[in-house]
Amino acid sequence: METDIRVPKLRLAGKEYPLFPIWILFLIAAFGIGLHGMVTVLTKGLSVTGLSNQVAWGLWIAIDLSSIALGGSAFVFGVIVYLFKIERFKRVGMLAVLLGFLGYSTAGMVLLFDLGQPLRFWHPVVYWQPHSLLWEITMCVVLYLSVLLAELLPIVLEHPLFHSHPILDKSKFLRGFTNFLQKLSAWLHKTGPFLAVIGLTLSLLHQASLGATYGVLAGRGLWFSQTAPVIFVLSAVAGGTCLLFLTSIIVFRVMRPGLVSDSVLYDIARIAGYVALLCIYIRVWDWAVTNYYSFDREIALQTELLNTVAPYTTSFWIGQVLFAAIPGFALVSAKRIKRFRILAFFAILPLICTILTRWNYNLSGLIAQITYDPFTPTVIQNSYSPTVTEWQVGMGVISYWLITFSLAARFLPFKGDHHHKEHHEPDVPEPVTAD
Amino acid sequence: MSEQNNKSDATQQKGKLSRRDFLLLGGTALGTVALRQAAKSPKTTRGAEDHPEGGHLWGMVIDIDLCIGCNYCTYACQAVNNLSDDMKYNIVSVETTEIGDEFFLSRPCMQCAHPPCVHVCPVEATYIRPDGIVAMDYDLCIGCRYCMIACPYDVRVFNWYEHTEDSPRVPEFGTPELPPRPRGVMEKCHFCSHRIDFGLERGLVPGVDAAATPACIVACPTGSRVFGDLNDPNSPANQKLAVSDNPIRLRNDLSTEPRVLYIPPRIKEG
Repeated sequence: METDIRVPKLRLAGKEYPLFPIWILFLIAAFGIGLHGMVTVLTKGLSVTGLSNQVAWGLWIAIDLSSIALGGSAFVFGVIVYLFKIERFKRVGMLAVLLGFLGYSTAGMVLLFDLGQPLRFWHPVVYWQPHSLLWEITMCVVLYLSVLLAELLPIVLEHPLFHSHPILDKSKFLRGFTNFLQKLSAWLHKTGPFLAVIGLTLSLLHQASLGATYGVLAGRGLWFSQTAPVIFVLSAVAGGTCLLFLTSIIVFRVMRPGLVSDSVLYDIARIAGYVALLCIYIRVWDWAVTNYYSFDREIALQTELLNTVAPYTTSFWIGQVLFAAIPGFALVSAKRIKRFRILAFFAILPLICTILTRWNYNLSGLIAQITYDPFTPTVIQNSYSPTVTEWQVGMGVISYWLITFSLAARFLPFKGDHHHKEHHEPDVPEPVTAD
Repeated sequence: MSEQNNKSDATQQKGKLSRRDFLLLGGTALGTVALRQAAKSPKTTRGAEDHPEGGHLWGMVIDIDLCIGCNYCTYACQAVNNLSDDMKYNIVSVETTEIGDEFFLSRPCMQCAHPPCVHVCPVEATYIRPDGIVAMDYDLCIGCRYCMIACPYDVRVFNWYEHTEDSPRVPEFGTPELPPRPRGVMEKCHFCSHRIDFGLERGLVPGVDAAATPACIVACPTGSRVFGDLNDPNSPANQKLAVSDNPIRLRNDLSTEPRVLYIPPRIKEG
């Protein structure tokens, strides 16, 4: 089965080198550096970060928001595959589930380091405060991570190691255990539509709430907006689907040729393109409305901020409008462009746009602050730059994402047959003792 | 006969729940539970059993014209609340009036009636006491700092460092009255609630008797700030309000309804 998977090789000066081990070693080294940062944070506390009482959320929150957003394809394709039962997206849907799981587990990991009291990470699950958006997000993420785990298990168990590997015949316990896992996987697969509905509800809820986390804060004029939840959901769908398109090219087109037809990949690109355009359409209206209603002193002050500090500066027009609009039109016409190199280039831009939107949202409201002067309020600018430790931890969690993704891309079949019953007892040959 | 058949079919269908019905019922049930939860008022008021007599509503009035910017309020607060030097519950800044006069703005926690920090806390670590004080439960706080971001007055402080030594303001401005808080939790001004509780138990009047009054009020050399029960017309705070014509609240546009009121600077003649 593994012979179906083609691993790209590195060609240097006419010689071929195995790319995969080098890549994994590189990632493990990066994770090691990250681990050092993680230990530093846990032992010394958040004083090792560049955060302050004024800029309380920084790089890690931006990574957290982005990785959750880029896992957004999981609920879109969960619905397409498990609920609408559109068969041709089945294999791509499996990849989407993996991306979702990676996105959410990365987010959970980086959030753990961002807490002042990491050992109390479980508090929101026990001590409820249902009026807090952060509580709702925590609950949704915990529950959705469980849903993703249930959806991921059958995909991992598809690997021959769990049903037809010769090593299983050497131990009765192993065989029994894997048989149990296969039964569990078959049962989980049957609950697919149910999980898809729950997953859709949970992810729409918290993707929107992540925007609302900022949108409800009346005290921070830059953030106080009703469109934030909509923009967060749409940009997550656009960015997540772009990531799915890019990874699909690697996992299916390069490594498993013939498993997924090109037309399916074009369709993914088109979905991403349409959603990116819709997102930009709403963002531009948001910009127009914000500028139109700037008569009141407080609002005028805030609009001035929006236009000078963020988020409506050059980085908005280039990073968040152009980076989504041009690729949006290109991806929509994927079937006409056809060349995957060009499409992949265009799919990277909305990804950057999704990340920039989050970075901008998080930082802008904190960096530009209105003073408390009751008579002549002005804008003060706080400063923040991430420390080495923050970059280290960021690198650590991103290399976790890449290592897990690479291992999955290298070893998992992504066939989605779910018919391993023939590998159970009837087909099992007698254990060969001489071996 | 056929009618009977139809009837039995109908009953059979009635007994069997279709998938659509199941989803509909499940959804309705879930929705009802969610709505009931949402309709409940936030369970953010705690500790009523500690104050069986109730009826108090603590507030502070700061006369901007009397403030000389000496920072004694900040220092006394740091000493009494056992804060390290980088942590300040009370911040004094220089601001400007519309005609360009500079003045000192001393800014403790506003003890809002509708505190944004309380509504956003994911674990209910910050809550409103029945006497109106917005307090912290350090054992619940996870250190997510959402309250700090939600606060429009920038008066919440985070424990970035392990507390190792007393404030340099000890003993000049007071002695620590509270145990230090662990690293990684949020803190805030609590109107020296330990002094209020202590005083009430002994029949003292907060705002009048120094032992029952917040440290910043006691330390103020000009009497710029007064404290008292807003429900008691004879309290120092209400008496101060009675003689001033236009008390203001910071960021009134946000409807947080602070219980710290300011008497704005009077326009100087000449």
